[in-house]
Amino acid sequence: MSVIRTEGLCKYFKDKKALEELNLEVPKGIIFGYLGPNGAGKTTTIRVLLNLAKPTKGTAYILGEDIRKSRNYLRKVGFLPDVPNFYNFFTAREFLSFIADITGIENPKKRIEETLDLVGLKNEKSRIGTYSRGMKQRLGLAQALLPDPELLILDEPTSSLDPQGRKEVLDLIFSLKGNKTVFFSTHILTDVERICDRIGILKEGRLILEDSIENIKKRYRKRRVLIEVDNLEKFSDKIKETLPLNFLEIKDNSIIIEVSDIQYTLREIPKLIVQNDLVLERLEILEPSLEDVFLEVTSGV
Amino acid sequence: MVFKLMKKEFIEFRKTGKLIAIIVTFLLFSILSPITAKIMPEMIKSISSEITIIVPPPTWKDAFLQFFKNLNQIVFLIVVLLFIGSIAEEKNRRTAGLIVSKGIDRREWVLAKFLFQISLVFVLTIVSFFLCYYYSAILFPYTEFGTSLQSCLLFLFYMTFIISLTIFSSSVGNNIIQAGGIFIAIFIILGILNMFPSIKAYNPIYLSSLENQWIVSGVDWSSSIKTIISSVILSTLLVSVGVYLFNFQELE
Ligand SMILES: Nc1ncnc2c1ncn2[C@@H]1O[C@H](COP(=O)(O)OP(=O)(O)OP(=O)(O)O)[C@@H](O)[C@H]1O
Ligand SMILES: [Mg+2]
Repeated sequence: MSVIRTEGLCKYFKDKKALEELNLEVPKGIIFGYLGPNGAGKTTTIRVLLNLAKPTKGTAYILGEDIRKSRNYLRKVGFLPDVPNFYNFFTAREFLSFIADITGIENPKKRIEETLDLVGLKNEKSRIGTYSRGMKQRLGLAQALLPDPELLILDEPTSSLDPQGRKEVLDLIFSLKGNKTVFFSTHILTDVERICDRIGILKEGRLILEDSIENIKKRYRKRRVLIEVDNLEKFSDKIKETLPLNFLEIKDNSIIIEVSDIQYTLREIPKLIVQNDLVLERLEILEPSLEDVFLEVTSGV
Repeated sequence: MVFKLMKKEFIEFRKTGKLIAIIVTFLLFSILSPITAKIMPEMIKSISSEITIIVPPPTWKDAFLQFFKNLNQIVFLIVVLLFIGSIAEEKNRRTAGLIVSKGIDRREWVLAKFLFQISLVFVLTIVSFFLCYYYSAILFPYTEFGTSLQSCLLFLFYMTFIISLTIFSSSVGNNIIQAGGIFIAIFIILGILNMFPSIKAYNPIYLSSLENQWIVSGVDWSSSIKTIISSVILSTLLVSVGVYLFNFQELE
């Protein structure tokens, strides 16, 4: 069963189509990265899923419940907002014990200490009003995790963390894999590459790509090969004559070529080397980074 | 759940200094009112020694007229200022969205605020009444308990209406400025309507004049019942509509 399933979900603000026919499926136990440029509709999707905004058309099922008909599922969802803001007069501990109180957590004291430890706020005694943005983001994660939800919806969870904090939080999210389902939006592609199983890319309210990271890389693999030989000019002349190239570039001491048939190319290159009595110093198939894919997909190339 | 949410409102009031502000205001005026009523004629006499003004000796009625005047002006203002942002500012700061996204019933969330505000004002009004009565009994030869207590009940009905109106304004507005604007607009309309004698009796803000009338010329439930009933109905309506609107509102 999918933890999140949206069916033709639309959200319009007056004439602005923030979400258009969104069909999304997030299976249980995975980490789902929700990507898209600014204003793509990521936060809007999250607001609709959390019943904070109403869908204009379509619906979504979360943990099997229709979000248009019920709000009970919210009890099993943890949410970190993009701009975390809490009651400034509370300390982190007081705030979490208020959350524990209203969500009915068993053994709250122990759970609060565990959670504060998890997000690195255990020794923080001051009021939330004095916190930095990164600290609020950590507290945001703590309040989302506190009731031990089945589904975590995180809106840009690492956006204002320092490198150390980002690593800690990503490790934390990664450690939840299998036990919980995590749906998180972000702009930071290296984060996604590190921990996500599947991603969805949103552009102008439309989902333009949804797949596992592996498949995406396979699908968007640019057939590029990097070659280094002792005589670059000779080799580049020869390769232009013998192979059908889409693209060739000489950069520093290497040649980068883009071809349509990678198998054929890899068979031909060693032959060329031998025939021309060259020394092969390096041969590498270039992997596309997720960033390449993201830029290619979102710029509509 | 409502009780847990009310507890948070109380902690918020305590930690932000709002609690102490409202307590001090109530208590200050409950003590000051009988004292001012007592010394006012003396003061008037002392500043105009040339001409003799005949000032009737003050009575317990002056103490309570002063009391209700202060409640309806300064205390009223403090109450509205402290309560008007209760929902709107939580929407603006997005804490409302955060809490209801945890599956907390939105209706209970609003209701908790209303009940907290009502309880706080009721307790403080009753304590203030007894303080005022106590000082009045000390300063004047005679103070009528029944009349002043029943006039105080009218004030409680009036406050219930005012708090219902702040809850309504706050659930419609998206920040404290909007909520304040809505409150003032409605209050001004009611003020204008209060000038038409034919509908005056159904206007909740007429309750504040009735308090004085009861003190001056005695308790009269039968001619005031229309105002009380219409005020209770309007209060219920305002809170219900506020709760209803908030339940379907889009939040950040
Ligand atoms: N309440 C609203 N009223 C009108 N338009 C809105 C509202 N909320 C969002 N939008 C519009 O919907 C679009 C999507 O916004 P959204 O906040 O979902 O983007 P996002 O993908 O989260 O962007 P970012 O990466 O900057 O956080 C934007 O064009 C935005 O202007
Ligand atoms: Mg966003």
